[in-house]
Amino acid sequence: MAIHEKTLIDPDRILQHDHLVVDGVDVSGSWNTMITPRTLTDYEENFEKIIQSYSGGENVHRCWQCGSCTNSCTMYAQNVDFNPRYWIYLIRLGLKAELMKDKDIIWQCVSCNKCTNICPKDVRPEGVMKATAHWMEDNGLTPKTLSTHFDEEFTHQCIEFGRIEDTEVMMGFYKRSNQPLVQAWIVEFGKRLSKGLPLGQLAKMGMNVVFRPKTKSWGKTGEVLAEYVKAQKEAAHHG
Amino acid sequence: MSAQDTVLVVGAGPAGLSAAATIASMGKKAVIVEKEDILGGAPIISGYAKLVPSGEWAKDAIGRMVSRVEGDGNVAIHKSTKVTTVEGEAGNFTATLSNGNKVEAGSIVLGTGFTHFDSINKPEWGFGTYEDVLTTTQMEQMVGTGQITCPSDGRVPERVAILLCVGSRDRQIGREWCSKICCTVSTNLAMEIKEISPSTDVFIYYMDIRTFGLYEDKFYWKSQEEYKTKFVKARIAEVTKSPDGRLLVKGEDTLVKRPIVIPMDIVVHAIGMDPNALNSEIAKTFGIGLEKHGFIDRAEQYTNSQGTTRKGIYVCGAATGPEDIDTSIAQGQSAGSRAVADLFGQQKVAS
Repeated sequence: MAIHEKTLIDPDRILQHDHLVVDGVDVSGSWNTMITPRTLTDYEENFEKIIQSYSGGENVHRCWQCGSCTNSCTMYAQNVDFNPRYWIYLIRLGLKAELMKDKDIIWQCVSCNKCTNICPKDVRPEGVMKATAHWMEDNGLTPKTLSTHFDEEFTHQCIEFGRIEDTEVMMGFYKRSNQPLVQAWIVEFGKRLSKGLPLGQLAKMGMNVVFRPKTKSWGKTGEVLAEYVKAQKEAAHHG
Repeated sequence: MSAQDTVLVVGAGPAGLSAAATIASMGKKAVIVEKEDILGGAPIISGYAKLVPSGEWAKDAIGRMVSRVEGDGNVAIHKSTKVTTVEGEAGNFTATLSNGNKVEAGSIVLGTGFTHFDSINKPEWGFGTYEDVLTTTQMEQMVGTGQITCPSDGRVPERVAILLCVGSRDRQIGREWCSKICCTVSTNLAMEIKEISPSTDVFIYYMDIRTFGLYEDKFYWKSQEEYKTKFVKARIAEVTKSPDGRLLVKGEDTLVKRPIVIPMDIVVHAIGMDPNALNSEIAKTFGIGLEKHGFIDRAEQYTNSQGTTRKGIYVCGAATGPEDIDTSIAQGQSAGSRAVADLFGQQKVAS
């Protein structure tokens, strides 16, 4: 029998096989619909500590659920699903699966800091939103932001070559963020550059592409740096 | 010893002890009648751990109050004794005690206290069924031993749940009052547990948190911020046991709007304060009235705040309703001095 109230059930709780035959009986489609229970069966105590290890999340444990943050929130005025008070509660108890239901809107915090100004317990909810967004990004739960792509390319070049090369940073950034490498402004830039014909500059750019500049005696410095950055990150977020 | 220089004090808890010491310090005689064989009242008899808000061990703090009256020549003490009848009137009472003695007193102070709620009356929360379900007084006794372990098998609990409002704010069992101090006691208990057993996480299940006055930051905030006590807004419906031996607390998380079934190792009932189980007997013996919940009724809030409904008989402490120790002691002083004022009043009339 079809379940008519399906709209009231979270879609991820409905289990249904399009084709299913049990003991010779065809129970395809809605005939085999099962619904997973709503019950929460455990907390993940450590989760609060993980969020606290990100900058901005340090005070999340102070929250007493008064709702001042949500009440003052710029985004909440636009979308009632944007509820910092609720997310803080989920973080505190480690109800990660519940939190993940809102993963596509948590990053929308505009950092107006009205919540932080009004919070009677100095939780700094704006910081918690930021920390949560970073944690989600670190764990591949949300796509990387453009600025993260840029940071990664920039850091990569620093570690690899001991310096950056502007064109490479730009191209690497476009590659990482799946943007076209030939952009209208680059074409225009090239056109104007060729008009003035600064031969020296062009030759230098050409050389840089062929012979990638690298800091002298860079040696293993990059590897050591990379190790250090990795260790720091692990110590901060998994300690 | 004549009626005009004696006050009868019934009950030797914080309130009664305070009243007796006040009476003695004003040069009058106090006769203490205590039904138990030790003095100190609930904090001593139930073995409380560290008191709120001083943080001092009950046996030290209340012990000082006991030794103060024991060493006072103006105080006579009858232990394991009850008042059986009271005759006469204000200024000239004669009380007969169960040990056969008679006491002539000009006025009477009742510090007859309360009775801890018996968790057996909420069977769905597992007390009496599962060994690892305890009351706050039992947990305080455990804190007193300096070790936190599950009574069932001696393991160190990973998680302790404290359920608030057990026997308070519950019309279903006729307890329509807030027991006032359990929130503060529970947040304090959570800190004591964490101090003894740092690997144990403490969860407090609440409807509201009522850590009144200065107990807000000293207990609630401190417990949450420094001792990482987690506060979960849920009224627990049932405590059961899972096949692996752990307890399961079942209820609805009010904020997540979802049913919860969470494994716990120890569940603590923050039991409330009932009217003294003997209050109907006390009311009859002393000829005083009880208020609607069964606590001892007071005469007039503003000009005779420690008076009962009977002239010359005063009441202090948790006998009048859920009360904390500090306030009980203050009320004891208040009732004691009012009772002594009555004695002087009688002398004036006599001269």
